[in-house]
Amino acid sequence: MKPLTHPSQLAGWKARLLEERPAWRKTIVVSNGTCGRASGSLGIIEALGRELDRRGLKETVGLEITGCHGFCELEPNVVILPEGIYYGRLKPEDVPAIIEKTILKDNVVETLAYADPKTGRRYVLRKDIPFFRKQMRLLTEDNLRIDPDRIEDYILADGYQALAKVLFDMTAEEVIREVDLAGLRGRGGAGFPTGKKWQFCRSESADRRYIICNADEGNPGTYMDRSILAANPHSVIEGMVIGAYAMGAAEGYVYVRMEAPQAVRQVTLARDQARQHGFLGKSILGSEFHFDIHIVEGAGAFVCGEETSLMSSIEGRRAVSRQRPPFPAQAGLWGKPTNINNVETWANVPLIIKRGAEWYSQIGTSRSKGTKIFSLVGKIRHGGQVEVPMGITLREVIYDIGGGIKDGQKFKAVQTGGPAGGFLPAEFLDLAIDYDNLVQAGSTMGSGGMIVLDETTCMVDMARHYMHFTQEESCGKCVPCRVGTKQMHDILVGITRGEGKEEDLTRLEELGDSIRVASLCGLGQGAPNPVLSTLRHFRQEYVEHIQHKRCAAGVCKDLAPSSGEEAGPAGRRVKKNRHD
Amino acid sequence: MIKLRINGREIAAESGTTVLDAAQANGISIPHLCAAKGLSSYGGCRLCLVEVKGKRGYVPACCTPVEENLDVITETPRLLELRRLTFELILSEHPHACLVCLEKKDCEEYKSTTRKVGEVTGCVLCPENGQCRLQEVAAELKLEKVRYPATYRNFEVHREDPFFDRNYNLCILCARCVRVCSEVRGAGTLTVAYRGPQAVIATALDRPLLDSGCQLCGACVDACPTGALSERALKGESLPDETRSAVCPLCSVGCGLEVGLRKGRLVNSVPKAGSPVNDGQACVKGRFLVRDIVLSPQRALRPMLRRNGELVSVSWDEALDGVAQALASKPERSQGLVLSSQLSLEDQFVAGKFARAFLKTEPVFDSPDTLALSAYRKMLQTDGPTPDANFEAASLAAAGVIVVAGADIPLSHPVLWVNILKAAMKGTKLIVWNSGESLLDRWAAVSLRTMPGDESVALDELGRWFLAHRPQAFWSSIPGGEELKASLEKASPGGTVPPARFSEEQINAFGELLDEAQDGVFFCGPGLLNRPGAEGILAKLWNLARLAGARLIPLAQESNGRGAVELWPSAGPVAEVLQGLGEGRFGSLYLAGTIPPLGAARPDFVVVQDSFRGANYETADAVLPAATWAESEGTFINVEGRIQRSKKLVEPLGEAKPDWWIFCRLAEKMGSRDFLFRDSTDIAEEISRTLPALHEVSSHHQKKGRTAFVREDRKPGSRLIASAPVSRDGAARTALAAFEAWPDIPDFYRGLNLREQFRGLRRLREKTGPAGGSREG
Repeated sequence: MKPLTHPSQLAGWKARLLEERPAWRKTIVVSNGTCGRASGSLGIIEALGRELDRRGLKETVGLEITGCHGFCELEPNVVILPEGIYYGRLKPEDVPAIIEKTILKDNVVETLAYADPKTGRRYVLRKDIPFFRKQMRLLTEDNLRIDPDRIEDYILADGYQALAKVLFDMTAEEVIREVDLAGLRGRGGAGFPTGKKWQFCRSESADRRYIICNADEGNPGTYMDRSILAANPHSVIEGMVIGAYAMGAAEGYVYVRMEAPQAVRQVTLARDQARQHGFLGKSILGSEFHFDIHIVEGAGAFVCGEETSLMSSIEGRRAVSRQRPPFPAQAGLWGKPTNINNVETWANVPLIIKRGAEWYSQIGTSRSKGTKIFSLVGKIRHGGQVEVPMGITLREVIYDIGGGIKDGQKFKAVQTGGPAGGFLPAEFLDLAIDYDNLVQAGSTMGSGGMIVLDETTCMVDMARHYMHFTQEESCGKCVPCRVGTKQMHDILVGITRGEGKEEDLTRLEELGDSIRVASLCGLGQGAPNPVLSTLRHFRQEYVEHIQHKRCAAGVCKDLAPSSGEEAGPAGRRVKKNRHD
Repeated sequence: MIKLRINGREIAAESGTTVLDAAQANGISIPHLCAAKGLSSYGGCRLCLVEVKGKRGYVPACCTPVEENLDVITETPRLLELRRLTFELILSEHPHACLVCLEKKDCEEYKSTTRKVGEVTGCVLCPENGQCRLQEVAAELKLEKVRYPATYRNFEVHREDPFFDRNYNLCILCARCVRVCSEVRGAGTLTVAYRGPQAVIATALDRPLLDSGCQLCGACVDACPTGALSERALKGESLPDETRSAVCPLCSVGCGLEVGLRKGRLVNSVPKAGSPVNDGQACVKGRFLVRDIVLSPQRALRPMLRRNGELVSVSWDEALDGVAQALASKPERSQGLVLSSQLSLEDQFVAGKFARAFLKTEPVFDSPDTLALSAYRKMLQTDGPTPDANFEAASLAAAGVIVVAGADIPLSHPVLWVNILKAAMKGTKLIVWNSGESLLDRWAAVSLRTMPGDESVALDELGRWFLAHRPQAFWSSIPGGEELKASLEKASPGGTVPPARFSEEQINAFGELLDEAQDGVFFCGPGLLNRPGAEGILAKLWNLARLAGARLIPLAQESNGRGAVELWPSAGPVAEVLQGLGEGRFGSLYLAGTIPPLGAARPDFVVVQDSFRGANYETADAVLPAATWAESEGTFINVEGRIQRSKKLVEPLGEAKPDWWIFCRLAEKMGSRDFLFRDSTDIAEEISRTLPALHEVSSHHQKKGRTAFVREDRKPGSRLIASAPVSRDGAARTALAAFEAWPDIPDFYRGLNLREQFRGLRRLREKTGPAGGSREG
């Protein structure tokens, strides 16, 4: 197909696609994201294909392979349309029954329907399942309708219409004003107002500007960005083209880590399709706007998520942070004004343009608008990728959506914000999630990791775990981050081994407070947070470890568990360093 | 100027500088380790954190540009606390017993406790002891204790490269070495490898420096604030108790050196910061060889005469008598004097005067570029135009384009390269034309390459670009223009012109760059100068430069090559002497500071006046031990035309005497009263009086401390020189057979073959020498 050279061709194309769409009686949608595949979705797809073929249903029943549906716990899963019947945790053996009963006879296979682990009640329809009921899937609901290999599916989902609107009906200033009015804030974690950031970049005079999509997602336990790129890559690309138009950039980069191969594959494919169809390249949709996207694979250094490091890496140099100012908007990639936004931020842009700032700003709290995608993981019943409106409480996310704590344990804390975030205990469960509340509580929004911990977790050990991560991932440039985090880590290792000393806590606090203000970039500035927030909310646990050489959770093997047993010999030496 | 406040004080600072610069310039001390003059801001050590009113948190002064009305506070209890803690963290990875030792004071005063701490902690055994920046910062922060456990990182010390060791156990990762290597020297040999606690400075794949494109310039050693990079020769050596300024005699750049002395003995030499020539940069020779040259076991220490076939030690008086008698006994026109252009102006002047007075001859030089320079000047002067060969390396950045032809400047004039690189980094376009590859190509906008012997043809090709791009009026407006045009046209394709040497794109790129750029500079180096037919090539290059409105500067190689040309413009080449020797025309030969290959054809009497027992020492009839440049005062004119006076640093070894002294005493013995100079300043006065171009050599002028240059005709000529088109005939080809495309770097100081004497230099040249492989030398 030839590239589109006029916006009207977009509507024509969509109409044609609608016409050509096969009239399937039913459609089986298979969730085939990374965790779907890991749980065996490819086997399900194969079994479904075979079964449909065997029964001669190929013409009347559709089989759609899509990206992640979000409910990781129940992968592999299928959704049967038009009813929206949800079957989870499938095995290839289940396939004949699904075809036999549901496809041919319109009956439900009760045993495959989701059963609430608390009440045992079964939910047949996807929309009824508690995991989905409280979500607001503005960005992710389309995942069900989109085969990421096919740009046509994105067009059918009204894709690139926001771009057409922007290119032909809006000035760059109007686009920025719209994004600003919508109240969109950076989803990478810091929550800087996106419209303002765009304005900074635009108002910097330069012969060229760049925009970057930060898809380096490196926080342990998070997978929102890669799953957006793998499931609906065009939404990100469309957002980027709109942003490029608003800021006057002619080139953009998607910096995506190669450790997310599906995201790399899908975004590359989508970029190529967008080029073929005239959404990227010269004279986009026949306008006078030119823009193209390069895809750069990151090698998996955590610090590459930091914007100055990321740019250094794109430039082909060692990924090292540099002092800001100058901010990227002033002197970024190759010294030119550059705007970096996270995947999720870019994905929000077409939505805002399509539905308007006014609609968008209705969602969320007074200062945090829209929805936020979280990776809900840890000791939770229903882990998965959840999209919720800003302002929802932690309790709602953890208990209503996530179904509460696994294995009858008690909630202990929730970790948000990744290695730069913090741990929040039960008294914060009713905290409404937004950027400012989380910071106030001693954590951060971060890019959207949400790790739920139960009573079997040792907070000291968790803090040690995070410190281990950040000190390993420090770029090594500035002293507080390179040496300070290592000192903190060593102290924490000592405490978990029963070698803790009274002054360790003051030392940790002193180091933490200093590293936070003295470090060069966000990595170091955020690094002490897991320790400081556990010290703030779980200080007693540290004291137990140090004074009584006890680890209540029984995680620190060199210490005695608290259940009435005698404390072991203090400071017992361990032969092997288990932490290395 | 920008006005800001630091600690409440109104301060004016230049735009583009940092808060740290402004503070330092106004005597406000902010501790810092990673910031260094001339290097990009880094912000790694975090010691210079300050508060800025109205800004959240703390910002590093080294990375904060001055802004109008900035209100900076450099000292608060919290800042001090942060600095102390950060410094403690730095020390937790650096052996620091020496910095916080309880017995530090006694130790420093009485050296009473040298052995109380193990070697790992360094203490007074640290090579940097006494000049360590960490010691300074520790004192500044009054740090008495490091509360954090120390980590010894246990890196193997790199001792595989010549001249200095790299002990990364002492490294604080300030990356000064990395920055100086890439930002100032353009080498990019070093980088930070790995991340987090594993971070360490390394070469690519951790290969030795010699395998990593390092030229051993030592800039990293001088940039290092700790003992991590340390000069091997200084280990076990006490620190200098005195430093003196000197001019490096080892190439024509004439770097300012700071020579360290201890009890009057030469200890080391480091590049002088702030010197207008080299501002803190040097090369392998100036940085690491100076002391070993002066203290070489090869030094000639005593006057000797050949008696009964054997060289025997004699007194100066006997030696001078012997030489005077021998020279006086030779018939007219049968004597020769070969001079080194590494001698000071004063030495050369007296030597030449001596040659004229007693040997009835002009001195000759054995450095080919000096001769080429002379020839070039002669050619231009007979034709009308006067060459303007002066320039200031530091202002090269103002040039729009720099053309380097026939020179591997990074190797032959390393510190001139530092200035060219600085210009290239700031946007000056670099055009490189050589017969081989070099570091220059990495920075070149256009790289041209020709086979040796094709230069003339290639120059015509480049010249023809102007034929097509300059109107007729242009040619008729400049003297010689019409003739040149005609000769270029005659050489146009279709005639008897050899096939093209450059592609059309290359020629266009070359022409367009020259056309667009303002203030071009052409450097012409030994690759074109030291070869048969150099004059013809220079004439064409001169034309090209003039057509582009640029200047042509031929590069001398030796420390006083330019001075030799100014003093003895009519000096002949040593080849003539050598030929004359073969024909038996010489009765005596006086070799002052040089070792031309005499071969079997020897005159009756050979005087070797040198500081070293060089090649002709064993067969000499008289040996007169000369002082090195460090042992006498003298004036040198560097490649820029800058007149620099180098002071006497140490007493001469043995019985060595300055060259001028020897010539004067000899002249007296031979009955002249024209050589009654008391010291070298007397000679400088006479030079200043007799030669208008060298007027400013006079010590009177030099004492004023201002920059002195060779005087030049204010208006450089613009005349073009028409020359016949060149083809490669048989004779030229034969001449070229012996000619090397990349002339060797002259690694000599007087009679001492540095490459032979110093293994480190030999290894370097073998690895990264001009031919990229081993050479005989």
